[in-house]
Amino acid sequence: MLHRLSLRLRIFLIFAALAFGALVALAAGLVFGFQRLGSPETLSAFVQVGVIAGLVILGLVTWVWYLFDVNVAKPIDILAGALRARAHSDVSGEMDTAIARYLGDLAPAATAAAASLAETRNALAEAVARETTRLADEKSRLEALLSDVPVGVLLCSGEHQIAFYNTPAAGLLGGDTAPGLDRYLFDYLREGPVRHAHRRLIEAGDADAASDILCSTRSGGQVLAARMRLIEGAGGPPGYVLTLRDVTADLTTRARRDAALSVALDRIRRPTANLMTLFGVLPEGEPVPARMETAMRQEVTGLSAAVNDLSRHHDEDRAEGLPLAPARALDLLDGMRARLEGLGLTVETAEAAPLLMRCNGFELIALIGHLGQRLAASGHPAPFHLRLDEAGADARVVLGWQGAALSLATLDGWLAEPLGEDLPDITGRSVLAAHATDLWPEGTNGRQSLVLPLRAARRAGPRPTPVPRAVVYDFDLMSKARNAPVADTRLEGLTFVVFDTETTGLLPAQGDQIVQIAAVRIVNGKRVAGEVFDTLVNPGRPIPPGSTTVHGITDAMVAEAPGIAEVGRAFHKFAEGAVLIAHNAPFDMEFLRRQEAVIGARFDHPVLDTVLLSAVIYGQHEVHSLDALTHRLGITIPEEARHTALGDTVATADAFLKLLPMLKGRGLDTFGAVVAEVRRHGRLLKDLN
Amino acid sequence: MAEDGRKHRILVVEDEDNIAIALDFLMTREGYAHDRVASGAEAMPRIRETHPDLVLLDVMLPEVSGYEICQSVRLDPALADVKILMMTARGSAIERQKGIALGADGFISKPFELKELRQEVRRLLQGEG
Repeated sequence: MLHRLSLRLRIFLIFAALAFGALVALAAGLVFGFQRLGSPETLSAFVQVGVIAGLVILGLVTWVWYLFDVNVAKPIDILAGALRARAHSDVSGEMDTAIARYLGDLAPAATAAAASLAETRNALAEAVARETTRLADEKSRLEALLSDVPVGVLLCSGEHQIAFYNTPAAGLLGGDTAPGLDRYLFDYLREGPVRHAHRRLIEAGDADAASDILCSTRSGGQVLAARMRLIEGAGGPPGYVLTLRDVTADLTTRARRDAALSVALDRIRRPTANLMTLFGVLPEGEPVPARMETAMRQEVTGLSAAVNDLSRHHDEDRAEGLPLAPARALDLLDGMRARLEGLGLTVETAEAAPLLMRCNGFELIALIGHLGQRLAASGHPAPFHLRLDEAGADARVVLGWQGAALSLATLDGWLAEPLGEDLPDITGRSVLAAHATDLWPEGTNGRQSLVLPLRAARRAGPRPTPVPRAVVYDFDLMSKARNAPVADTRLEGLTFVVFDTETTGLLPAQGDQIVQIAAVRIVNGKRVAGEVFDTLVNPGRPIPPGSTTVHGITDAMVAEAPGIAEVGRAFHKFAEGAVLIAHNAPFDMEFLRRQEAVIGARFDHPVLDTVLLSAVIYGQHEVHSLDALTHRLGITIPEEARHTALGDTVATADAFLKLLPMLKGRGLDTFGAVVAEVRRHGRLLKDLN
Repeated sequence: MAEDGRKHRILVVEDEDNIAIALDFLMTREGYAHDRVASGAEAMPRIRETHPDLVLLDVMLPEVSGYEICQSVRLDPALADVKILMMTARGSAIERQKGIALGADGFISKPFELKELRQEVRRLLQGEG
């Protein structure tokens, strides 16, 4: 009972009890003394003594209580409050110890405890911040690494939903629509080989096992070589990493070569067989009959033409098929110069032509270095001149010097030598053979040079627009539970596609059409920055100037754009399996649903309208325009993005993401609950579900 | 016929006997004085000795390659007027470039049409004057 009261009140009560007890004792003593004395005339004196003593006792007790309250109880309360504040929140700063100066070491001890707490807390916060920064750095480094891996990398959950992909993978799976997070892998790849490998790996039960498979894309018959490796996960079938490489080109080249070889063999075999037969029947030592001679001549001409053709093709193929990486002429020349200078030779270089060549730069630099060294050692003195010229479709490296000519026999000797002690297997000859080229001396009047043609050079044009390299992922998708009906699914478990359209006007019933569709995806409660749909649509009719003023899209801009049939299909694919969200959805949905016949797909997705959600949260009397809603939620739409389909879409998506926790705060955390609540606001706008 | 009325003299440097037989036949029919060596090593001494108007030079020869012979001829000022027509069984663009760079006057790939060879030989010998 007592312990629930505050400290100060309890102390007060203790002192009150003390005063009461003392007064009772005093009164009892006086009454006892008065009765023993037995003289009634002393009563007034007893009463006087009693009153004075009682007042003195009361005064003393009150005085001591006051001191105790001010100097003990109150400071303890204040100290306790200060400590509690420090324990439960981030209050820092010195505690006032002056008020507790009568409490002995308590105040300094509390201060020390608080200081140590603050210190620990700061150290912890610093450690967390440091670790967070380190993790963020590591994450961005890994992202950069993975996005730069030249093979496609995919991470899928055990139910074949994509949780990670990099740019090459997006390119390989591409087709009509780029792949997206939480999409079904088999929307892009034929499922047979993947499923089979997945099952095989699970059955094998070996964590290190990988399975190599050959699979095809659904869209364009591209053949991909893939390697699958399982990832351990909690519960359910294990997810896996899939690395993809396009082998269509390899297979095509091989098929073409095989076909060419068969044709060539056939062209050689037939005339050879015919000649054998002709010569076989020819009577030995007799003149050749005229008809047979004509036949032989024909066959020989055919055979000779076939062989010439074949060798020409072979020549071209070799240059084409050199498995070498392109190198810049400038870099190559600089490397050669550095190598020669490293050997103590003087070199002058001329400006290199802006060429890209397929070559093994390391080997060529070693070759030029070797030749320079040999030249200098055999009385062909430096300074050398080094050039890299364009020669028709080829390039030539020219290493020049002043002095005596170099004999081919000597050069051939040098080319047979290894290029260095560390390269015992590589000779000049082997380098030349690998590049399908040769090397020879030229020269007149004391100006000598070695010429090395390099094939398949091309001018280094302006850099192609760089492909944005990125990785897109959400590893939470690996363990996401599925298969609940949409109505019972928690909101953050759903995939949403937020979209907006720009149109020729406001009246679809009177022939107004879509001119632009933009959409973004929200997966696992996050907007996926890398997955954006943004396309102009040719409306098949003029855009009224009034509408152009609103969205800035002119007839000229949509002249080359695809029609609604194609864009609608792509958008339908983009929105597959998602809940559609738009600001004032009935307007946009009306335009889409009117075109369902042309598009050949039904837009029967569950739909949410941010206008209605805003009404649920803020009440029907607020303004629910996109501007008003985003303003209330503290979202700014950049002026240049306002009234572009994508700008409005991103704003709507961000607004929806801010409305989500508010809906949950109202206890509306499943899709079904939200729809039921929205229906109560149906008077405001039509609900589309 | 050369300007001084004598027959043009041609040296065939070729290690394959069957081709050599055919070339021998052709040269005789065309009315050239001709001679043949079958190895690279014999070629230079014979060229210096006989100073032919034209050398029909195979690239792939035992001992000394056709390219080397070509270079040696071009490095000898005394042999400046000797024409060289190189023949090769591979005949890639790079080989042709190399042959021309080393001083060959013509380059022809096997298998060739005899007509083609005949025209090339005539062109070189007429261009002489």
